[in-house]
Amino acid sequence: MNTAAHAPTPRWLTALHRLLMASALLLLMFHLAVYIGYAVNLMRFPFDYDQGEGFELVDTMLFSQGQWPYRDTEAFPFYSSNYPPLFHIVAAPFVWVFGAAYWYGRLLGFLGTLVTASAIAYAVYREGRNRPIALIAGLAFLASNTVYHIGPLFRQHASMVMFETLAVVLLANANEITDRKQRRRRLALGFGFILAAGYTKQLALITAVAAGIFLFIRQPRRALVWGIGAGIVGVVIFGWMTLATGGEWWRQAILANVNELRIVQTVALFNQWFGLHGFLIVPAVLLAIYELYFDRLSIYTLWFVFAVIVNGAASGTWGGGDSYFTTAIAALCILSGIFASRTLRGGWNFPANYLTRWLINPLRRAAPLLAQAALVIVPLLYLGYGRAVLHMPTDGAIFGALSQALGLHPNALNGFYDSARTADGQYATGYANIGHWTTEADIEAGWKISNLIRASNQPAISEDAGFSLMVGRPAITNPTQLLNLDKKGLYKGNELVRMIEAQEFGLIVLRAQFYPDRVLQAISRRYDQFDTVTMNGFNYLLLHPKPE
Amino acid sequence: MFTNDFTLTKRHLGGLLLVIGGLAFTAILSIDLLDAGREGGIGPAQQIALISSALVALLGLTLIPLGSRPA
Repeated sequence: MNTAAHAPTPRWLTALHRLLMASALLLLMFHLAVYIGYAVNLMRFPFDYDQGEGFELVDTMLFSQGQWPYRDTEAFPFYSSNYPPLFHIVAAPFVWVFGAAYWYGRLLGFLGTLVTASAIAYAVYREGRNRPIALIAGLAFLASNTVYHIGPLFRQHASMVMFETLAVVLLANANEITDRKQRRRRLALGFGFILAAGYTKQLALITAVAAGIFLFIRQPRRALVWGIGAGIVGVVIFGWMTLATGGEWWRQAILANVNELRIVQTVALFNQWFGLHGFLIVPAVLLAIYELYFDRLSIYTLWFVFAVIVNGAASGTWGGGDSYFTTAIAALCILSGIFASRTLRGGWNFPANYLTRWLINPLRRAAPLLAQAALVIVPLLYLGYGRAVLHMPTDGAIFGALSQALGLHPNALNGFYDSARTADGQYATGYANIGHWTTEADIEAGWKISNLIRASNQPAISEDAGFSLMVGRPAITNPTQLLNLDKKGLYKGNELVRMIEAQEFGLIVLRAQFYPDRVLQAISRRYDQFDTVTMNGFNYLLLHPKPE
Repeated sequence: MFTNDFTLTKRHLGGLLLVIGGLAFTAILSIDLLDAGREGGIGPAQQIALISSALVALLGLTLIPLGSRPA
């Protein structure tokens, strides 16, 4: 059955469709404006915004000096990274020119999301030839609460998703290229991006698996040849890094990174993901089912399934969170965009099989009506999505008036409204408590802590590296990594505990207290809290040595 | 299978999913059968894995009648 055969569309319906599409586009453009505002706000903020950003800056600085960040955490300064190197290597030249700063890492993350959105729009346009839907699908990615709050951070996650998306979009039609040279170039580039994604963040493994299975289904011989080739390149790089770091790459980035799963967090984040993105998840799943039973499986469907199941489950691990759904969000934006454009052009074909007989044939008479209803339903899906993911500041001349008109009340830090939270500010376990815009008072608070570190004539430990880096002091310890190692029984901490016991640190700055218990106990024995500074709504505890 | 124009059909894919789902189901169940000293019976994670394996096998079964159409 081809649903393209239907009665002419009434003028009023065409006009209504255009009005609704324009409204959906306008709403998503508003989300883009909020996103740009947030990105600019963060680029102007000189300290850690999300917990751990500063340590990514430390990695970047080490690479800019030609040093590995995978180090022995038992020796001073007790620092190691647990992330692959590519994002930090890309950012390293900025250190040579601008020194230690957050804005360039945040800019790279932000630009990465724009590239991802463009790749999504291109993929949707290539499949459906519908420009407005392609544009809307790309904007839908940027509008997601999850993409919004992790995009412009000095973190590698957005870059990983960018490489994954580029790889998938490139490989989607690679088998159909008849020119051998061109096909090989495309496959090489696609696998190159998969390797780049994997060496940006380990989670990209699912994209390698999805792409491999897709190619295997289409042409097993080609999949094996290219899969083995890419695997050899990946393993050689891995082996070289393990040798060059004396085994620390393997220990810090792999062994210490396998964390326990908290099912409660996984379930909470799945619920939240569906609540926010459900308007687009439903059409994405419908397209996946269609491909499974009536068409060929696309790389997008396999990517979506693996990203949802594997990364979705992993979101419940210690160190996980809603950001683990970002790849699934990119995939669902592509699938729902293809679904929307195919529906609008009446491009559904149902070959004869038992499911067509049972499910589709009884609906044939309703096909013209369904095709006309789609003109309203498709833009309504995007309007519904735009409302479901709504997030914005509620103060200032424009946002204040707008939030008042919409009846929105702040439910996050610094007067921010986030639809991912309840009216009283509750949110799913594992959802990142960020997204709010920073203020001048936050910057002043950051400098207050930094100046205390500068004034100390002894080294200082800070749970956010930025306070030390901004006054030219070295970052000492990476608390979450020490905790990762400790949870695996890979950390002793004797030297760090000895230095704390000997009060060799002039100042200790704590935020989430993500240190191993042994370290926290030593701090509590030998240091006293003398002040609390609030920055971005988080309390930073300032401790100095107890009097002898 | 390793010729340049070979591609998996719906029947192939269905058969693969049926075998994978069936093997996974048996393996997960075997954890309790082989590890007799283990306490607590079938836990929540095991239940999820069992249901998922059964669904994969069932999905495979529904694809087999679609025959030689490319997967």
